[in-house]
Amino acid sequence: MDTMSLLMQGFAVALTPESIMFAIIGAILGTLIGALPGLGPANGVAILIPLAFSLGLSATSSLILLTSVYAGAMYGGRISSILLNIPGDEPAMMTCLDGYPMAVKGKAAEALAISAIASFIGSFIATIGLVILAPILAKFALRFGPSEYFALFALAFATLGGITGKNQFKTLMAAAIGLMIATVGIDISTGVQRFTFGTLELFEGVDFIIAIVGLFAISELLFFLERHAGDGLKQVAVNKLKLTAKDIIQVLPASFRGAVLGFVAGVLPGAGASLGSFMSYTLEKRFSDKGEFGKGDPRGVAAPEAGNNGAASGALVPMLTLGVPGSGTTAVLLAMLISLNISPGPMLFQQNPDLVWGVIAAMFVGNFVLLLLNIPMVGIFVKLLSIPPKYLMPIVTLIASVGIYSVSHSALDLYFMVGFGVLGYILRKVDIPLVPIILGMLLGPEMESSLRHALVLSDGDWTILFNSGLSIGLWTVALLGLILPIIVGPLVRAKMARAKASEKDD
Amino acid sequence: MRINDRVFGMLMLILAVAYGWEATQFPIPFGGHESVGPETFPIMLSIILGISSIYMIVRPDPDEKWAPAAMLIELSVVVLAMLAFAWAIEPIGFMPAAAIVVSFLSWRMGASITKSIITGVTSSVFIFFLFNTVLELALPLGLLEF
Repeated sequence: MDTMSLLMQGFAVALTPESIMFAIIGAILGTLIGALPGLGPANGVAILIPLAFSLGLSATSSLILLTSVYAGAMYGGRISSILLNIPGDEPAMMTCLDGYPMAVKGKAAEALAISAIASFIGSFIATIGLVILAPILAKFALRFGPSEYFALFALAFATLGGITGKNQFKTLMAAAIGLMIATVGIDISTGVQRFTFGTLELFEGVDFIIAIVGLFAISELLFFLERHAGDGLKQVAVNKLKLTAKDIIQVLPASFRGAVLGFVAGVLPGAGASLGSFMSYTLEKRFSDKGEFGKGDPRGVAAPEAGNNGAASGALVPMLTLGVPGSGTTAVLLAMLISLNISPGPMLFQQNPDLVWGVIAAMFVGNFVLLLLNIPMVGIFVKLLSIPPKYLMPIVTLIASVGIYSVSHSALDLYFMVGFGVLGYILRKVDIPLVPIILGMLLGPEMESSLRHALVLSDGDWTILFNSGLSIGLWTVALLGLILPIIVGPLVRAKMARAKASEKDD
Repeated sequence: MRINDRVFGMLMLILAVAYGWEATQFPIPFGGHESVGPETFPIMLSIILGISSIYMIVRPDPDEKWAPAAMLIELSVVVLAMLAFAWAIEPIGFMPAAAIVVSFLSWRMGASITKSIITGVTSSVFIFFLFNTVLELALPLGLLEF
């Protein structure tokens, strides 16, 4: 078993004291980030990137830190779902359905513990899936030429809105805007200045980390101000934990099913964590003969949580092997890889096996850390959750600006950050999704160079983009991803809304 | 009302045209014309943006409500405060600038004046020492420099 020995080498990297320390710090920060409503995983990881960058951490350490943050955020998201009935991010929505009723019934501690166990199972199984699937996919992707890559990038954008996407044209528009921002600067292959208007600062292009922090963190602050949400929300008190082995065994099958479903949803383009947790929940509801779904059934907490975490790890498969992220947070992780000068994709597994397998092993370690953190220490996170946003958001904004400032010590970067914040606010008002913009900025240079490579090879013949079976397949999936949501999207959304509404009526 | 999408769509249409036109004006790179130049990809993008903005103008979604004028003014003040912070970080130093901007933000988010000042001062001092001594990232001292 080649994979096994590589994984063991990975553990040798992940079990050094330094790596364990970063995994623990990441897990704590991540849980906090996930738990605080309105911060969200993409946001939190984005704020931490410039910090990891300016601290001069090694590639492996920063990646371990940030993947632990990512995993931790998925754990943390459930805390606010259960105690506040407010999902920390979208995939955590389904956990509200049974988690909050459980908390209201005075079983908040049990709900938190069960969801922690389910999260653990979800991540654990999905990480095993990642170990098995990633090398296979990476090997397969070695066959991709420039025209296949171009089709793959197109597919990533087309499916980004997901099956539940509302307006495909807005996703397309966002992608175009992001790609357009990426074209600013000196063209690498010809040296021609594009859209710089002679400004020296624009020669190197627009830094996507600044854009990410601005679009996510600053616009969030503006929304908080507008909604007068500074006081926070009332949360349910946490009781003393009484969990028996029987309770755990009862939710195990639900967690396993949720984990597998979530992993599959995470790997597939366009499905994502939201669909993963939704499918896990509805399947569990149908599968279990009787139960009190919607009124605080523990299995209704376990299934979506396992699905959510499974999907989160599953989403790393396309990100690591193809360099094409499927969600906002993995896009932000990709941003970090690119700024560390590591290009993800099939070559990553050959050139940097230490890094890849170290990170994968660190995910196992981080997952154990998270389980340990989340069962006995959940009280601390709950306390922190009760700090009102009116104190927290300004401090988070400050930390975000310090991170941006410390990368190059220039006030200009901060002006850009605020500018992107205002842009993000306006875009969210007109309902233009932000993730495709980020993805466009990240993938733009790669996408353009693969197009140019393909066309240079064919001497300007555009049919090269469609002349292999593989690329035709990719284009077909891309087209389906663009068109299907227009047909299926309203149905799925209506179903999700109904699930939520029927829970409220009871 | 479906004004937002229409207005935004028009702005984006203008951007698409301007961007595409600008791309056709790129100087011919050294070594003569190739089948794909620096302008090929941007022109494709401007077409995609153009199509999607026309769709947005023709089939707009219902508007999300804008905040009342008073709130928009307040938001602009907050944005200005952040820009002022960015400007002030070097001349007057990180700690005073951060203390002022954090206090201001948390006051605007509804905290009482005393509590917001406490939040601002403690967080800025704490972050300054965390960054300068523990993480060894130099933040400017500004006025506090001796």
